[in-house]
Amino acid sequence: MAITVLPPAPAAPPPNPKPYHDDADSSPSDDEMDIDSLPTTKSRTNTTIITPGQTVTDDPQWMRGHGTTAAPDSSTIRSTLAGTLQKTNKLLSVVPLRARYTPEIGDLVIGRIVEVQARRWKVDVAAPLLANLLLSSINLPGGILRRRTSVDELNIRSFFGEGELLVAEVQGLFQDGSASLHTRSLKYGKLRNGQFMAVAGVGGGAGVVRARRQIFTLQARGGEVDVILGVNGYVWIEKKAEEAAKEKEEVGINRLEQSTSEAVYSSQNDEISEATRRDIARVAGVVRVLVEGSVKVDEENVRRGYEAGLELDEEEGVVDFLNGERGARICEMVLSGA
Amino acid sequence: MAPYTNIPLSPAELSYLQTSLSATPPIRPDGRSPTQFRPLVAEADILPSANGSARVCFSDGTEAVVGIKAEVERTGRADVFREGESEGEDVNATGEGKGRNEWLEVAIDVPGLRDDDALPVFLGAMLSEALGADGALRDRLWINARFHWRLYVDILLLSPPLSYPLPLLSLTTHLALLNTRLPALLSQGDEDPLFNDDWDASTHLYPRPSKPSPATQKPPITLLVTTTGPNILFDPSRDELAVAESVLAVSAAPTASGSLSVVAIRSVDPPSRLTAAGVPREINSASGATATASAGEVLAAREKDEGRGVWRAPRGGVGRKVVAEVVKMVVAKGGVGEEVLAGLEGVET
Repeated sequence: MAITVLPPAPAAPPPNPKPYHDDADSSPSDDEMDIDSLPTTKSRTNTTIITPGQTVTDDPQWMRGHGTTAAPDSSTIRSTLAGTLQKTNKLLSVVPLRARYTPEIGDLVIGRIVEVQARRWKVDVAAPLLANLLLSSINLPGGILRRRTSVDELNIRSFFGEGELLVAEVQGLFQDGSASLHTRSLKYGKLRNGQFMAVAGVGGGAGVVRARRQIFTLQARGGEVDVILGVNGYVWIEKKAEEAAKEKEEVGINRLEQSTSEAVYSSQNDEISEATRRDIARVAGVVRVLVEGSVKVDEENVRRGYEAGLELDEEEGVVDFLNGERGARICEMVLSGA
Repeated sequence: MAPYTNIPLSPAELSYLQTSLSATPPIRPDGRSPTQFRPLVAEADILPSANGSARVCFSDGTEAVVGIKAEVERTGRADVFREGESEGEDVNATGEGKGRNEWLEVAIDVPGLRDDDALPVFLGAMLSEALGADGALRDRLWINARFHWRLYVDILLLSPPLSYPLPLLSLTTHLALLNTRLPALLSQGDEDPLFNDDWDASTHLYPRPSKPSPATQKPPITLLVTTTGPNILFDPSRDELAVAESVLAVSAAPTASGSLSVVAIRSVDPPSRLTAAGVPREINSASGATATASAGEVLAAREKDEGRGVWRAPRGGVGRKVVAEVVKMVVAKGGVGEEVLAGLEGVET
């Protein structure tokens, strides 16, 4: 069948419909909620959604945190976001259901160059503001350590041009909250040999989460596949680069120049076999169904989802694209393994 | 036509996509087969004050609503005279050949774009061209020699145009027209039209299939087809459109005999033409090339590479054989067109 036409479905019920207070009689009015019974830690059982402007409490014992506001002359705390209430001791904050990525120092992000300026690139990292990548915070080809000259400034497009993808780390934050990136590591730099996809990032909702490892290698059927999960929700799935792995073992930090090989700023893809391409497409499909099924995207879930996809294909005897029912089954298999 | 957007993909991504899509069988980024559509959510008859309406959501998040409103209008004096002249020999009251394309008004609203921007105008022209091509719809709008229906097809794209929205708008319009109902006519001949005020007695603009005549007329659908290398892909996603060598909009409508026939075909300027070419490794000064190459050398190296190593925007047009193949795939018995029509027929109101 070439086309699947589905009827519109109502929004799925929350995963745990049981309210956190058991007796319905003691539940407070719509406009005010029972804060004392809230669990202190962030938990998924709290499914009550607060809307902007709603009064969270007028009890003066609470302090207002992120996502809340209070008039200067009153103790009434109101929400400024749509989300769930989180309590940390006496601090009340509202965690938004969905938000843009807010950069933090040390985040591994994937970005796309949107603008080339005299000494810097402007990079889209799905944050409210474009991030900066200074010419001085990239590795020069060959790993030469020197000041950036005006010749480098003139050749700035030979490093990164508009539209190109890169993986970088957030080095610092400016006063306005925009990020400053750097690619001064062998792990970072221009991306090629793979496929890009944008999902939801850190900032509420399902999507990529901050985890121990954001870059990992998946042992796929057609060869090894590297997956880079940017904290900002941008995902890159590529064929594992062979020579980089070889060099990493031999090169220490003092011999950076040798390791920064010539291919760092190349935009020419290597030969990629069809089997690897299929694997890359399959991993992309897994990431997509995980996001659609509100399952967090991290190393473990992607690995499990990939295995589940293979299992499902063997079971049904067809290689089909992951969607709808199959997607839901993969999410189920991933969650049941957790 | 102006391209709908510039493509923010890197040369490496474009090259990867192009090679994947040129493989046999093509490897689409989301793992679909070449003729497979993304699943869509559709419902019909959603606006109570419109004669017919439909809503379709594609899985990439684009969504469209179509409302169809019918109005009785006096046929212009010149038309009446013309009709009057031929009244002697033409006495059938079915309106065959008497319809006019002006009675159908298609308006497209795309958020963020003005009404006279290229994209809505071009899309509107393509859709009304398909609707007017078979002549069946306009003849249904004829009431009598003095009056006719004027049909307003208002197409509203609710989401920003993430990818070329033609198939979405076309499928939604098709669904809305299928569900359009007009009040039943009580008056006879050329007298002022009088309608039955019972909505249950209204008639469908496109009669529903019934037992005696299963083969029924349906509004046309417009499918977007792209070619990459030797492959023909249906329902391209945004990324697939970005590397397409040619983009064709094929409109097909069922004929009286039940088979599909092409009513209109348009080629759309492929957005890949505007992409920047990649730099081959041999001449990239930042990746090992020692001497800085002159502009002429760069050009020569790019020509020699012929888009195999790095991305280069496709050149040239689309061959006749490819167009013939595309048309065959759309209208063939059990082909893509029939499957799409069958899928949309099952939409509940």
